Amino acid sequence: MMGDRPSPPSRAMSSAATTSPSADKVDGFSRKSVRKAKQKRSQSSSQFRSQGKPIELTPLPLLKDVPAPEQPELFLKKLQQCCTVFDFMDTLSDLKMKEYKRSTLNELVDYVTVSRGYLTEQAYPDVVKMVSHNIFRTLPPSDSNEFDPEEDEPTLEASWPHLQLVYEFFIRFLESQEFQPSIAKKYIDQKFVLQLLELFDSEDPRERDYLKTVLHRIYGKFLGLRAFIRKQINNIFLRFVYETEHFNGVAELLEILGSIINGFALPLKAEHKQFLVKVLIPLHTVRSLSLFHAQLAYCIVQFLEKDPTLTEPVIRGLLKFWPKTCSQKEVMFLGELEEILDVIEPTQFVKIQEPLFKQISRCVSSPHFQVAERALYYWNNEYIMSLIEENSSVILPIMFASLYRISKEHWNPAIVALVYNVLKAFMEMNSTLFDELTATYKSDRQREKKKEKEREDLWKKLEDLELKRGLRSDGIIPT
Amino acid sequence: MDAFKLMKELRVNYEQEAHYLPKETGLRLIESTTEDDSRISAKCRDAKVEDLWSLTSFFGYSTQTFVLAVNLLDRFLAMIRIQPKHLSCLSVSCLHMAAKVTEEECNLAPPVELIRIGQCRFTASDLCRMEKIVAEKLNFKSKAVTALTFLDLYHQIALSHCTDRKEILSLEKLEAQLKACLCRISFSKAKPSVLALSLLRQEIHAVQSEDMLEIACHIQRHLKITDVELRLWSERVARCLSDYSSPECSKPNHRKLQWIVSRRTAQNLHSYRTVPELPTIPEHCWDESESEDSCEDVMSSGEESLSSSLGSDAEGPYFPLHLRRKHLHA
Repeated sequence: MMGDRPSPPSRAMSSAATTSPSADKVDGFSRKSVRKAKQKRSQSSSQFRSQGKPIELTPLPLLKDVPAPEQPELFLKKLQQCCTVFDFMDTLSDLKMKEYKRSTLNELVDYVTVSRGYLTEQAYPDVVKMVSHNIFRTLPPSDSNEFDPEEDEPTLEASWPHLQLVYEFFIRFLESQEFQPSIAKKYIDQKFVLQLLELFDSEDPRERDYLKTVLHRIYGKFLGLRAFIRKQINNIFLRFVYETEHFNGVAELLEILGSIINGFALPLKAEHKQFLVKVLIPLHTVRSLSLFHAQLAYCIVQFLEKDPTLTEPVIRGLLKFWPKTCSQKEVMFLGELEEILDVIEPTQFVKIQEPLFKQISRCVSSPHFQVAERALYYWNNEYIMSLIEENSSVILPIMFASLYRISKEHWNPAIVALVYNVLKAFMEMNSTLFDELTATYKSDRQREKKKEKEREDLWKKLEDLELKRGLRSDGIIPT
Repeated sequence: MDAFKLMKELRVNYEQEAHYLPKETGLRLIESTTEDDSRISAKCRDAKVEDLWSLTSFFGYSTQTFVLAVNLLDRFLAMIRIQPKHLSCLSVSCLHMAAKVTEEECNLAPPVELIRIGQCRFTASDLCRMEKIVAEKLNFKSKAVTALTFLDLYHQIALSHCTDRKEILSLEKLEAQLKACLCRISFSKAKPSVLALSLLRQEIHAVQSEDMLEIACHIQRHLKITDVELRLWSERVARCLSDYSSPECSKPNHRKLQWIVSRRTAQNLHSYRTVPELPTIPEHCWDESESEDSCEDVMSSGEESLSSSLGSDAEGPYFPLHLRRKHLHA
């Protein structure tokens, strides 16, 4: 929703809210993006720039125009030139030089992709230096607390025309056939990785996408850095969950972790299991879960496919953190749970079926129709149905009361129709148990009704007594 | 009611029950029909009756409504040949008619709701027309003598004879068992009095009450039910009930139910199983050219993580022995 929104003249700009409530509310609370006046946000920067002095770079010949033996040295010179960083905040300055750098970078990208024998040992430090100069920077401050990743448009990186090419170049460098980690590791070290990780907080999703690829390649090729990278990611996540609840790159980091988890050797190391329980599960509690839930769910399911004995702690963890006030999140949890159940082993299922279906029973009765609907839809899943059938004597009693009750009381007719499907399935599964439960439910209801009637009668009797007493004493009915 | 009156009532119903029996020839015809689209078979009748039971249970109707509905259905089917595609409309009409005479007005589900929940393809006006046809053909006013009538009477008789044993014979259980039997068309051939008595005897055997057995025999003599007939139906009932209460799950699945969900929910189903873009990085991929040099690095950079609270790589040899040796000789 970009563009100016006309605000009523008498009110301050920041409190305009002129659209209809229904489209702009989430769980009853109006969206921030509607509350704020919309203006195109320009990127701010905390970098100090020296004013005035134009940057001059001597144009170098093209690499393809130079004989092969001279190319490596020219390559280094171009790298050196690209270390110069331009100011994109000022859209008018150094236009010619900016274009020159851009075309040089483009050239370097091609060169790295197709050439053979260009990577001398000298090239490594120069490449890393050029990349570092360009990408490592203090990220521009966002609108501090105002930026809501779920709702607002991100502020894009102004220097993207150069930045994109630097990332592109670096990736091809890392992927090059001639690339030797044993040499590179002197320059791509822990300090480099730390700075790289900080960049994941960039608001620009394109940058984060490149960073994701870069880190993925580094993790793959530098065995010596793996433990360090894992540890740092842990720190980022833990800080995110327990301190700041702010970090833009969670989804990308989770995607990388997905490919790492996928490659875990069996039996799983204790470190990895700890990570699952202490980091991945608590990640579910964060408010902005929707931004990275798909990736998080994928990681969880991968873990369980590697080691099914982790199922019980995972599900218990999810149940412990089950959302109590945010229905959107509840729907996400239900989706994830279904994914987990899709791969669960029957022996594991039996261990957690009771607490699990107690929660599902609550979801099914939820007045929020999307939650109820999502939970009821589990009964359309063939594998889950087969698990339920095998254990119907345990599960049916847990589900019965709420199903029966909402078939009579729920406000949403579509939900009532779905409940019929579920009850019918149970009826066919285990008729005798179903009949028993129906009979018990009916007699319980009868008893309740009887008690209610008795209570009413008692009150009525008291009223009558009161009246009689009033009449007897002085003939005047008390008011 | 006292015992004498009950027995009299029993006789009266016994004399009338023949009027409410479905034609046996009609039922046999249905039983012998093989699966095909032009005629009603036993299987599709049974499936429909099970659906009726689901609806009965869902709307909280009594067993009386269900039994009456099945009675109307079977009588009609035995008399008039209909196409299978009309069976759904017919059965729901019977249910609605039975509910109208049995249930209280406030508990009656409107036809539209019946159709919606039952996921039926016909309209409320179709239902209305069908009801008229059934009422006319069967000359139905408001009552019928069914197995439930007898079951009820037998139960009362049994109670009146031994008042201190109220809890032994559960009417609800008997009703549930009757329901199970009625889901099979063969039991509609039985005389209601005999069917009910078979069920009673079955339950009496289960609770092992000599007194009750006496009463059952007394009833049999009073109604002049032959041993042969009783034995025949008792065996069939026993078989049916053992299937019904077996722990094995049956999933006939004769008609897949429709699962209609809202657009938003449908959009979000299975959104997680996207193919990941990043290729898997296998753990412990020991590249020969790297491992020698990476040894030291891992020691220095990895040291921190080894002793950290999360890491536990400290236990066991971190490097495979053969590589360590290589490093020494490098």
